[in-house]
Amino acid sequence: MRLVVRTIKSKLNIWAILSLIFIAIILIPNGLIAVNVFTESNENWQHIKEYLLKEYITNTVILLSFTALFSMMIGVSLAWFVTMFEFPFKRFFKWALILPLAIPPYIGAYAYHGLINYTGIIQSTLRNNFDVTVNQDYFSIMNNQGAIFIFSIFLFPYVYTITKAFLQNQSSSIIENARLLGSSSFETFFRVILPISRAAIVGSVTLVVLEVLNDYGVANYFGIQTFSTAIFRTWYGMKDLDSALKLAGALMFLVIFILLLEKFSRGRRRYSFSTTKVKPIQPKKLRGVKAWLLAGYCFLIFGVAFLIPFTQLLYWAFLTFESVYSSEFIQLIYQSVFIASIASILIVIIALIIGNYTRLHKSLLTSFISRVTTLGYSIPGAAIAISIITIFVALDGYLADLYQTLQMEPVIILRTSLVMLVSAYIIRFLAIGYNAIDAGYEKMGNTYTEASRTLGFSTVKTFFKVDLPMMKPAIFGGFILVFIDVLKELPLTLFLQPFNFATLATQAYKYANDERVHEAALASILIIIVSGIFIFVSHKLLEKEPA
Amino acid sequence: MFVQIKNLQYQYKNAAEPVLKDFSLTIEQGEIITILGESGSGKSTILRLLSGLETPKSGSITINNDVIFGGNHVMPPEKRGVGMVFQDYALFPHMTVEKNIKYGLKKMSRREKQQRMEEMLELINMTSYKNRYPYELSGGQQQRVALARALAPAPSLLIFDEPFSNLDANLQIKIRDELRGILKKTGITSIFVTHDQADAKAIADRVVFIEKGVIKQVGKPEEVLGCASLVMWANS
Repeated sequence: MRLVVRTIKSKLNIWAILSLIFIAIILIPNGLIAVNVFTESNENWQHIKEYLLKEYITNTVILLSFTALFSMMIGVSLAWFVTMFEFPFKRFFKWALILPLAIPPYIGAYAYHGLINYTGIIQSTLRNNFDVTVNQDYFSIMNNQGAIFIFSIFLFPYVYTITKAFLQNQSSSIIENARLLGSSSFETFFRVILPISRAAIVGSVTLVVLEVLNDYGVANYFGIQTFSTAIFRTWYGMKDLDSALKLAGALMFLVIFILLLEKFSRGRRRYSFSTTKVKPIQPKKLRGVKAWLLAGYCFLIFGVAFLIPFTQLLYWAFLTFESVYSSEFIQLIYQSVFIASIASILIVIIALIIGNYTRLHKSLLTSFISRVTTLGYSIPGAAIAISIITIFVALDGYLADLYQTLQMEPVIILRTSLVMLVSAYIIRFLAIGYNAIDAGYEKMGNTYTEASRTLGFSTVKTFFKVDLPMMKPAIFGGFILVFIDVLKELPLTLFLQPFNFATLATQAYKYANDERVHEAALASILIIIVSGIFIFVSHKLLEKEPA
Repeated sequence: MFVQIKNLQYQYKNAAEPVLKDFSLTIEQGEIITILGESGSGKSTILRLLSGLETPKSGSITINNDVIFGGNHVMPPEKRGVGMVFQDYALFPHMTVEKNIKYGLKKMSRREKQQRMEEMLELINMTSYKNRYPYELSGGQQQRVALARALAPAPSLLIFDEPFSNLDANLQIKIRDELRGILKKTGITSIFVTHDQADAKAIADRVVFIEKGVIKQVGKPEEVLGCASLVMWANS
């Protein structure tokens, strides 16, 4: 008994209490979805289940599997070439091949649609200069194949960067041995490289798959029925929150299935890199045709996944600059930066608190807490949006009662305020901030904190005097990462933003959906440039740091 | 008795066996104790329990008649008045030598703080270094600053975790003697943890030899070391 009292007393501090509150905030929406799966269903749901659910599942699964396959093929092949061979312009491609990540798939989707539709540059050139009119069926990308193309070219950098980082940390002896045993480069790839990097590949492909599940923009623009579009249509079109929640529940099962699949197929391997200081892989110098073939392949991917859509958008942006650039547009930039800053600051603060608690008290509870913290990122935006709105409608109900009993004017209606949107951002992006902050704590270690405590300071004072100043780089890094992601975010913002509020992302999307693709370019270009600069800088920083 | 440690038990989570079993020790005021043992013997754990960075399963610790651990009572590290010099010194990298030494000085006026800081710098013979940052100092200098920082708030007990392990061999001998001089001058009670018998011999009034969490022998360095070296040699 004494032991129990003592344990509780020693565990219950400000860090624990705050961390548990934040965790509850993340868990409640998910719990809501889970509970709703088991509630009684209405007619709509019967209809959806009987006639529509099959299509949603088929489309989603087709998109997921083919995108996974293609992004894996592109990502792994590029990672292999860049690590193992020396060829022209390799230093440039090494980071340039990450750049497609700066283009959110929905922006890429309308850029490509604008490029190849009837009035686009390809068809009009063919028509005007060569007098060729093509069959429109071959020149439409607004279908499943088109969406798979878009997802694959803009999401493969996840696979490329993670697999590349893994391979670069492997010992050269593995590959040299294979070569000495008489395997060709090609054989080495299938018999050595692929098996050893399985965990990294599976992990990164899972990220791609989760991104596809999160997508709303591409699917809706192309008119493809997926879970995300179905959730929003059931809710907005049919005004049926209950069925939308049920769809979100089904989507969550899919997510859980994917995460379990990852765990299984990854096997007992972790994706930690071998840390021993071994001789890194020495790239083989290629000459002649082979070298230029590789350079050509890299250039092809870079062109399709970045250069072409980027140039097209830049051109449109110049074309429409006068009409789009106005005081409203500046307001748009201001609102985007404002909301992204607020969300990033809050996320960093929450991550600092949870991170500090989990590192100072290692236990089952804290490892559970850090797992939950990273959970939000696997939940598609549509599911978060629907559960958040359900909760805020309920909260507003309580508040309304409260205002009535106190006989006062409503001070705030949460549903129409930014509070709702910011909460959704926190749930979805906390994982990103937390990973950065946690890595910072890990790097700093616990001794400085312990030293401060033996010098007479409590954990709270130590946090402000020692931990915080030392964590500056991690805090900055985490802030930027979250900021970029919020800036690009579409589904949550689209459905949870209050009236008279828009961001660059939602405005670009609205223009594109109104068939005003050219006008969407300026906002898109801004998003791409900001993300691109960040990708470039962080790549340079990573290069400098010894592995 | 100035420090009284009674029947301490400690077990790390997920460990099959306790690292400390029934550890008891008493220390006189002003005494310098060395706890000698191999890695994994539980010697560093004793320091962490004394400073309050870990909580024992059972037992009690009293310093200068204050119960800092016992029964339901767990005093947090910041209230114990136990100073610690860490193996890697843990000097705050974002503060100068001056700021580092002043860090633990709390209930003092600015003038008193300044005075105490200068006193400490004189004691460690580093008056001209007060505006340097830790990374601008050599390993030996960093260690002296760490000592000054721990000494500044006048703790009732000062503990050292493997203080010489990060120093070159020839520097080690010089610092060791210097350190003993400083400690004896201030008259502070201190505990060293080391795996090096030469360190133990050079610095301690009394050596505690422990193996697998149990005290094997306690006594004057020359009495204990013969036995310890035999055991450590046999295990190596």
